[in-house]
Amino acid sequence: MLNVESVYKSFGGILALNGLTFSVESNSITGLIGPNGSGKSTLFNVISGFYGKDSGEIYVRGEKIEGIEPYRIAMLGVGRTFQISEVPEKMTVLENLLLAPKRQIGEGILNVFLHPLKIRRENEQSLKSAYEILELVQLYDLRNEYAGNLSGGQKKLLSLGRILMSDPILLLLDEPTAGVNPTLVKDLIIAIKNLRAEKGQTILLVEHNMKVISEICDRVIVLNFGKKIAEGTPEEIQKNEEVLEAYLSGSSKRELLHEDSRGQ
Amino acid sequence: MGLVNFLVYLAIMMGIYAILSLSLNLQYGFTGLANFGQVAFFCLGAYASTIVVLVFKMPFILGLLGGMVVAGLFGYVISIPTANLKEDYWAIATLAAAEIVRIFFLNEDWVVGGGPYQGGSFGIGGIPQPLRSLFSAYTYPFFYLAIVLVCLLATYLIISALTRSPFGRVIKSIRAGDNLPQALGKDVKGFRMRVMAIGGSFGGLAGCLWAHYHGFISPNQFLPLETFIIWAMVIVGGKANNRGAILGAVIIMVFYNSTRFLKDYLPIEEVTLASLRMVAIGLLIVVAMLFMKEGLIKEKKTLYYSE
Repeated sequence: MLNVESVYKSFGGILALNGLTFSVESNSITGLIGPNGSGKSTLFNVISGFYGKDSGEIYVRGEKIEGIEPYRIAMLGVGRTFQISEVPEKMTVLENLLLAPKRQIGEGILNVFLHPLKIRRENEQSLKSAYEILELVQLYDLRNEYAGNLSGGQKKLLSLGRILMSDPILLLLDEPTAGVNPTLVKDLIIAIKNLRAEKGQTILLVEHNMKVISEICDRVIVLNFGKKIAEGTPEEIQKNEEVLEAYLSGSSKRELLHEDSRGQ
Repeated sequence: MGLVNFLVYLAIMMGIYAILSLSLNLQYGFTGLANFGQVAFFCLGAYASTIVVLVFKMPFILGLLGGMVVAGLFGYVISIPTANLKEDYWAIATLAAAEIVRIFFLNEDWVVGGGPYQGGSFGIGGIPQPLRSLFSAYTYPFFYLAIVLVCLLATYLIISALTRSPFGRVIKSIRAGDNLPQALGKDVKGFRMRVMAIGGSFGGLAGCLWAHYHGFISPNQFLPLETFIIWAMVIVGGKANNRGAILGAVIIMVFYNSTRFLKDYLPIEEVTLASLRMVAIGLLIVVAMLFMKEGLIKEKKTLYYSE
């Protein structure tokens, strides 16, 4: 599904991606972890075309992604969310969801005047799936609220719901559960798993919550200094010496081993 | 000038400026495109229509269409080299583009057909008024007002249909930044170009109406100042609200023309008063920015209801 081959990306003197190579299987859920500054978000930005890469190759479903604009990559079926939620303040939650479906007839200027009925039908259909997704991310009651008035966690949920509306094949989720309350996180885990089962989507997610990682991920890839330092099942990763080394600063190590001092 | 005549004149000006304000509102209010060169569309529409009607002896309606096409194309074309500029730099680029247009007409007198004392800084007069012969001098302004109102209504309906549509949804998301629409597969540059083309053609429409009403145009009527009067309309009336844009045009036009009457009540010379009206509009913008950021009529929330 996704092949990343020796990708390099530097910002000034900082090598954010240092010959990174890995691949993601179709229909899998892969977790991407690593200390802060290890290149996770940069990787997402490079895959989705928001940053250019210095060298290396990226293939999505065998198709090489090279020098094309982010919106074209999105059209190929790569959906992404942002670490800091991108939420147009003055659009309602529902409008945010309705924005997402691709190739809407009503996005064409002439169509607005030539095919009003088709557009209405299309809208009705989008509304139906939007309501389902709103139930899923528990924002139904806030559907007519301006997105700018949501809390940080709710914005994360909205971003997740919105990208689901666009029906991507490969889903890149940047910390989807950050700031979301733990009960809801459980529901989201189930939802993400169902999604994969029903629609056969492939999911790559950056996540700091090891509980989430071990519950939903088939495989985990660990980055450090822009390189892959380990890959395996969540259990294997938690025992991996090199990984523990990378996380050696005490608190992160506890985090990795689930020994959340507050959670005990 | 009788009061009725003056009121009809005022209504025509309000109508023409309301079209300009609706056009800028589509660009700035809905799409977030801070166009500081709105007057370029006005100018191009006025000149293109004049050239079509006066030089090529075509009917008024073709002048109208010609003006819209030329100004729309201009909007489309200037968004190509400026596609990657950030908001503030983009604003400066549009300001410069508008000055280029004005200075072009100031120096290239041949475009209006040549002839002594014609074109360039002399401006161009004798622009025919549509169906003038069918009306008396007294009734003609009423007829022209009807034309302006029909154009305004069409502009309002078309722009409102667009801003309510899925197209409107996309441009509103662009207003908040390029990242999200890009990530959702929307061709942001393409949408911006289309907005500039539509905004441009309606700005051009206003220019045509202006030229054929006054019968005389010259480059110094299209100074950057005009752009800011249109901006004042959008800011005071309410950005991203089409009715607000019209209301803004009405209010600013009243302010703009009120000095004619104030001269009877204030011990200030007429020339000074004329300059003071710009100060008054400036103050109005400041007051609007401070105390009603969203303008007189706020942006309307788009609600959807299922069956």
